Parts: sequence; C-alpha cells; structure tokens
Amino acid sequence: MAVAIAPLVGVAVAAIRGPWADIATAPFAGYALTSALLAVGVAGLSTVFGLTSAWLVATCRFPGSRVFEWLLVLPLAAPTFALAYGYADLFDVAGDLRMGLRQAAGFDLPVSMRSLPGAIFVLSLAFYPYVFLAVRDALLNRSAVAAEAARSLGASPGTVLWRVTLPMARPALAAGLALALMETLADYGAVSFLSVQTLTTGVVRAWSVYGSPASAALFGLPLIGTAAVLLAFERWSRSRRAYGVQATGWRDTPRPILSGWRAALATLACTTLFVAAFALPLGWLGWNALQATPEWPRLLHASGRVFGLGVVAAGLATALAAALALSGGDRPLLTRLAGLGYATPGAVMAIGLLVPAGLIWRNASGPTVMFATGLLMLIYAYAARLMAAALEPVSAALTRVRPAMGDAARTLGRSPLDVAWSVRAPMAKGGLLTAALIVFIDVVKELPATLILRPFNFDTLAVLADAYARDERIGQAAWPALMIVAVAVPACLWLTRRISRSRPGGDRP
Amino acid sequence: MQFHRVLMLAIAGVLALSGCQQPSGGATGREDAGVVNVYTARHYDADLRLYERFTELTGIRVNRIEGNADQLVARMQAEGEASPADVFVVSDAGALWRVQNAGLFQPIQSEALTTAIPANLRDPEGRWFGFTRRARVVAYDPAKVRPEEVDTYEEIASPRFRGRLCVRSADNPYNLSLVGALLEAWGTEKTTQWVEGIVANLARAPEGGDRDQIRAVGAGVCEIALTNTYYYVLLGAGDDAGDRALVERIKLAFPSLDGLGTHVNVSGGGVVAGAPNRENAIRLVEFLGSAEAQTMVAASNGEYPASPSVPVPPPVDAIADFTAHPMPVSAFGPRTAAALELMTAAGWR
Repeated sequence: MAVAIAPLVGVAVAAIRGPWADIATAPFAGYALTSALLAVGVAGLSTVFGLTSAWLVATCRFPGSRVFEWLLVLPLAAPTFALAYGYADLFDVAGDLRMGLRQAAGFDLPVSMRSLPGAIFVLSLAFYPYVFLAVRDALLNRSAVAAEAARSLGASPGTVLWRVTLPMARPALAAGLALALMETLADYGAVSFLSVQTLTTGVVRAWSVYGSPASAALFGLPLIGTAAVLLAFERWSRSRRAYGVQATGWRDTPRPILSGWRAALATLACTTLFVAAFALPLGWLGWNALQATPEWPRLLHASGRVFGLGVVAAGLATALAAALALSGGDRPLLTRLAGLGYATPGAVMAIGLLVPAGLIWRNASGPTVMFATGLLMLIYAYAARLMAAALEPVSAALTRVRPAMGDAARTLGRSPLDVAWSVRAPMAKGGLLTAALIVFIDVVKELPATLILRPFNFDTLAVLADAYARDERIGQAAWPALMIVAVAVPACLWLTRRISRSRPGGDRP
Repeated sequence: MQFHRVLMLAIAGVLALSGCQQPSGGATGREDAGVVNVYTARHYDADLRLYERFTELTGIRVNRIEGNADQLVARMQAEGEASPADVFVVSDAGALWRVQNAGLFQPIQSEALTTAIPANLRDPEGRWFGFTRRARVVAYDPAKVRPEEVDTYEEIASPRFRGRLCVRSADNPYNLSLVGALLEAWGTEKTTQWVEGIVANLARAPEGGDRDQIRAVGAGVCEIALTNTYYYVLLGAGDDAGDRALVERIKLAFPSLDGLGTHVNVSGGGVVAGAPNRENAIRLVEFLGSAEAQTMVAASNGEYPASPSVPVPPPVDAIADFTAHPMPVSAFGPRTAAALELMTAAGWR
C-alpha cells in the first residue's frame, strides 16, 4: 500500500518543498476551466457513443451484432495520440482533404481538430469503450427474472425498459464514465498535440518553461483531487449495483431480432462508430506511413522493449493489486488511495517518483545499478499508476469468495496467510488475468512517465512516435503508433473474451 | 500458486530485460576507450549518425537519453552526484542558460572550441558551446507580400498584417528566445507593444509546429509566418511532394533587428559537472564542435554551422546569405520567464 502511495507523497513533497516560480494565477484558472470543459464534453459524448452501442449490441440481434461486440472495444488498443495525429493530419487546413475540397467544391470545412471541440471528439472516441464495456456487461448480466417479475405485475415493455432495465445499467454507466474521465484528465499526448491547454499540459509547461518542478507538482494536486472524487464516485456507483442479480435463479433475457430498416440502422450506427474511432484515423495514419520509409531496427528494438515492459509491469501491478485486494478487505481507505494513481497524469507521477528515485540513485551507483533503477522506477511508475485498473477486476473476482470458504479453511487448521494463498488467490485467478491484460494495454500506450524515467538507449514505441511527431514527421510517427496498436490488439481481444466469459450466462456464444 | 508465479515472472522479466540490454547498455565498456553518456534534448534522427561517427573515430560508445530539456535537468538533479550524465546537448540557447543556471555544466578549456566557435555563440567561461545556428525568420507568400514589407521585426507586428500572421504557441523555446532577445534589445515597454501587435495579427489561435505555419501560408490561411530556417529546408528536402512544391512558392525573408541583423539561436552543449567520464566527454564536445560534425548536422538538418570558417553545405547554402545579429546568445536565457509572462498576459497562447 505504501508502494502505491509513495509517488503521490513524492508529488506532495515536491509541491511543498518549492521553489515555486512566479507564475500568474490567471493562466492556471484558464487551464482548470479547459480541463473541466474537456471532462464535461467527453462525458457527454462518450455516454452517447458508449450507451447507444452497448444498448444495441447487448439487447438486440442485428447483422453483425456479434462482431461488433469485440470490434467496438478495439479503440482501447490505440494510444490517444495516434488518434490525435490521424485526425489532426486528416483535417489539417493545409492537408490533402481540405485542399482537395476547396479546389473541387469551392468551400472549406469549418472544422479545426486542433481545438477544444476537436479534443473532445478525439478523446470521446478513444475512451467510449470503457462505457461500452461497463454498460454492455451490466445489460448482458441482467436476468430475465427482474423483467419477468415486472411484467407479471402488469408493467408494459416500455415501462420495464424505463424503470427496471435502464436503472440497472445506470451504475455501470457511472463506473465506465468515471474511468473515461480519469483517463481524459490524465491525457497528455493527444491534448498537447491538438494545442489544447489543460491542467496536464500546464503541469508540463510549468516544469519545462518555468523550470519549477514544485509549481508543476502544485498544478498536479487538483488533478489528483479530482481523481479522488471520481474514484469515490465510481466506488459508490459500484456499491449501488448491489440490487443486481444473484448467480442463482439467473435466466438469460431473450434478445429480439431486428429486421428491416431497424436492423440496417443499427448496423449503420455501429459501423460508423467503429470507422470513426478506429478505421478512419488509423487508416489515414497507415496511408501516411506508406509514404515514409521506417527505420526498422529502431522500431523492432522498441517493440521488443515495450512488449517486455508491458509483460513485466502487468505482472508486477497484478501482484501488487492482488496483495492489496487479498489483504485490504477491511482497509478500504488504503485501497482507494492506491487507486488515485489512475487519474494522475504520467508527468505528475514521474515528478513524484523522481523524489524517491533520487534517494536510490544517490545511495547506490554504477552503470548497472543506474540502468536497473531506471527500469525499475519506470515499471514502478506504471504499476502505481495502473493499480486502480488492476484492482478493479481482482476485487470483483474476490467478491465471489464467500467468507464461509475462508472459515472452512481455518477450521481445517490453515493460517490466515495460507487461506489467502490457497483459497482466495486461486478464485481470483480470472480477475488477475483480466487485471494483467488491462495493465499491459495501458503500459504499451504510455508516454509521459516513460519519457521522464527511462534509462539510456531505451526508447519505447510511444517515445519514438512522440519524437517523430514533435519533429512534425507524421509519416514516420505513424509506424510506431500503428505498431503499438498491433501489439495491443491481441491483448484487447483476449480481454474482451474474458469479460464475456465471466458473465453468469457463462460461455454461451 | 498463481500469485507466486506472477511475482517470479515479474522479477525474471526485470532481470531478463537488464540482461538483454547489457551489451548496448551503460555497463563497463568492453573496449578500452570506454563510454560517454549523453543527455540530449535534440530530437532529430540525424544526430544518431553523428554519435555513430564519433564512435567510429574514437572507439568510445555513446549512450543517450533523449528528452525535454527541463525534464532532463530535473532528472539530473534527482540523480545528484550519482548522475551518469557526461554531456548535455540542447537545441535552444535559453535552455543552455537554464542548465548552466542549475549548476549542471562545468567549464572546460579547449583551444579547438574557443578558436572554432565565435565568442557570442558560447559561454565566456567555457561551460557550453554552440555547435550550429538557426535563424528565426519570416516565411511569406510573394504573391501577396513584398519582401520589403517584412525586412524588420517591427513590421511583423504592424497593422499591415492584421489577421494575416501564423505563429506557433508561446511556450515554444524558439519564440521565447526571440522575445527574450527583443527584451534585451528594446526593453520591456517596446517589446510588450510588439507582442500585443503579434497577437492582434494572428490569423488563428496558435496550433501546430513551425512546418504547420509554413503550410498554412501555402494554404492561404495567412500571408506570413514566423519560423526557424531549418524547417523550411527540411520541407524542401522531405518525403512529401506537396511540401516540396510549397517551398517553391513560399519564400523566406530575413528581418533585421535594429539594423544589425537577424535573430539567431544556437543548438549546443557542454560537459556536465561531475561527469564520470570527463575526458571522453570533452572529446565528444570537441567532436560536436568540429567542422565535420557541424557540416553533418547542417547538411542533414538544415542548420547553419556555428563556425564562420566552415562552408555552408547544400541545401542550406541557398538561404545562407544573411547578416546575423551579434547579440550573445547567453542573453536570451535569463529573460525567457519574463518573456512567457509578457506573452501570456498579452494573450499569445
């Protein structure tokens, strides 16, 4: 638990220690407002995207509905900056599309991707899968029992929808939104590329231009505070799901088959969403990539490293989350604190980690130690950041362990540690794998903490993509960005299958 | 058990990663010549060939970390005396000053560097040296703008160009150094008026990098743009046919500051204080300041060599005929914080 909180303490220490720069407060208020507007915008738009698509896919059958179940989750495999590069380049005022339109049709799209609305659009497309997964899960889990009970009491199908089914999905919607918002607030890559000035970019600006890590840490504190609020909200909404279903007495709800124009509309809606969130920006990036010659040795090295990092970080984060979940059943506050890392921007986390890292670096020396420490710090940063994401499925899996099982083991003479090891941990196995996959996907996409903490000659794919993009070479940046997607997609598909399998409905296709 | 296995996997993974990096990592050099550790804020691919060339010539391995200048500084400060950094390279004089101000450079005596690099492009005490130069100039559309309309910096902020200027965001180091130079030359009041004029002339809120500003001039969004010279060169030498055609059409003008010449910035570096491989570090810094390295960077990245004795290679030679302002580049650094405050107050995002 201390492990997860250390970076946050580091941030607080850095903030308090000073020296602060003489920054006027006016820009700070502006950044905070922009962050707030961004959050509100993304909340709204991702609700529209995620809720509609989850509803369609979970409650009806239409052509392609089974394919969309996993297709619509794929945007999670793409780093936000990849979507940002794709859309910014596609709609660039001097780009081929708009130049062509001007010449052919004589008018110009009044669209600027490099703006707050543009950022809201891109981030909503990137994060709606969180809402989609959560709501779909809730809707698929609903048992026919509740609906049948309502019908037997005389409710019409419409009333059943409005007063029984939707309220059961609402907590899931809240949980998915909380995750999406935490990611939005923490995002740096896409937001800075699109020239939108949020608190997160303000953190980096305070550090870079004013040279004041203390001021940067100070800016980061409201972000951590908001993360705390969001996390509390998410926990509250999950607890409200208690009026869901029991595992016994569960019956699958029949799914009506759409036909005619309804079916066509449903398919069209889902296709449009998938194209907008995945196929279009990444396809455009791919098109650009073909016009640039990639530097294969660097790319392959970076892929290997990022894959290795992902695996190791996933292992560590899962182990830590498991330790926390297994032992933290009666200490919810610590568990929540551990989850704060999720909405902490990577840059802020890295600032926080430089404090303990400095302690290690100052007391041990030698190049091997430096390298190992750099690597460990990086993995630690990932683990600390993603504890919340790892904690969620592990805790959820553990709720299935009934106290009676533990008590039975105790009566048979096992110690509490033994109980944790041999009874609860195996039951959490499924949750552990889900947690590991989530962490892996996030690590492969991560950028800011990697930039700051990595050891020598250690570039990941995200670092390469960022370097090329900052050098304004989108064609070159497209290669590592697309390779991140390639590495993350299998993990994403595996994750989707696991979540489907873990429903009470079990393994039915 | 699952947990146990996961933990072992994690530890094994860390060891494996350490092990597989050992040959190229910073371990004790197998060659006699040793290693040199570079922290670089330059993010151009061409630099990799530079370091390879250095290894060819001297046998010293180069380990590098790229990153943002101030994040690297914070990291070096956290690392303290255990920091492995030997050489620090950045691409803006303001950043060089900030590193110097943090006490992270050490002075070196080098005949070769003091004769090769002009005094205004290096630290008088030998803590850092500029290796290549870049000028901040105006890209304009000759169909709409005459070159004499942009031959001083004051004219860029004049009402002639209301709503017709494109420039990148205020926190970019190149803009900060430019405004810092103006503060040095003109003082606060005149510079504030200039910055307000710039903000009034913006055709759109700052977005994108310098290349995007040049492309915006080409697309007709604005008539003039502030840009570094090497971006123009890189567009002309790049992969994209549209960019190359753009460079045929859009021209560069070299505005003069107070009649003395165009604002010039440097990319440079120095030996880090407490460098563990000090001798190798000095050799690397001397190599980076050598005629060969300057020519390599100039040719591949479109910058101008810092030494007047080094001939400007193509393709940069096409735009090398200008007078550079003699202001010492060490003057920008102390003024960048004030510059940013001024710019933000005037509304330059």
